[in-house]
Amino acid sequence: MREWHIAAAILVAALMPCGWVCLRRSFAEGVVAVQVAGTVGAVALLVLAEAERREPFGSLAIVLAALSFAGTLIFLRFLERMR
Amino acid sequence: MTARDAVGYVILGLGVACEVVAVLGIVAMRDIFDRLHYAGPATLGALMVAAAVWIYQGPSQIAVEAAVVALIVLVASPAMAHATARAARISERGDWRPQPEEGIEVEEP
Repeated sequence: MREWHIAAAILVAALMPCGWVCLRRSFAEGVVAVQVAGTVGAVALLVLAEAERREPFGSLAIVLAALSFAGTLIFLRFLERMR
Repeated sequence: MTARDAVGYVILGLGVACEVVAVLGIVAMRDIFDRLHYAGPATLGALMVAAAVWIYQGPSQIAVEAAVVALIVLVASPAMAHATARAARISERGDWRPQPEEGIEVEEP
C-alpha cells in the first residue's frame, strides 16, 4: 500500500465525524460540518486519483469543491429563514 | 526514495493532519461559531495536499487539478465562513447587526 492510499483512507475516515455532527447536532452546526466535509471530500478524491494514478479522476475533486460551495450556500438560505 | 519524494510525503502528512484537526474541532467545539474556526485548518490542509501533489508529480494534469481545487477552496472557504456566521446570527436573533441588549457599542459613521 502506497503512502497516498493511507492518506486517502485517513481522509475518507475523517468524513465520518462530520456525518455524526450532521445527524446529532442542530441544523446550523450540521451546515458547518457539511462545509468542512466538502473540503475534506474534495481533498480525499484528489489523493485517491493520485494513489490510483488516474489523473482524469482529479476532475471529480474540482467538481465536488465547486458544487459543495454552491450547495452550502443554498443550505445557508434555509438557515436564515429558520427561526 | 528521493529527497523530493520525502518532502512531498512530509507535506502530504501535514496536510492530512490539518484535515484531521479540522474534523476533530468540528466534533469537539461547543457551538456553531466555535466550530466555524475549524474551516481554516481544512483550507490549509487542502493547500498542503495540493502542494504535495505538485512536488511529487511535477507539472502534470493532476498537479494542475490539485492547484484548481486549492484555489477554489482558498477563495470559497472564507466567504462560506462569513456567510455561515451571518446566517446563524440572523437565525438566532433575526438580524446580523448588534442588538441593544447585547451591550455592544457601535460607532455611527
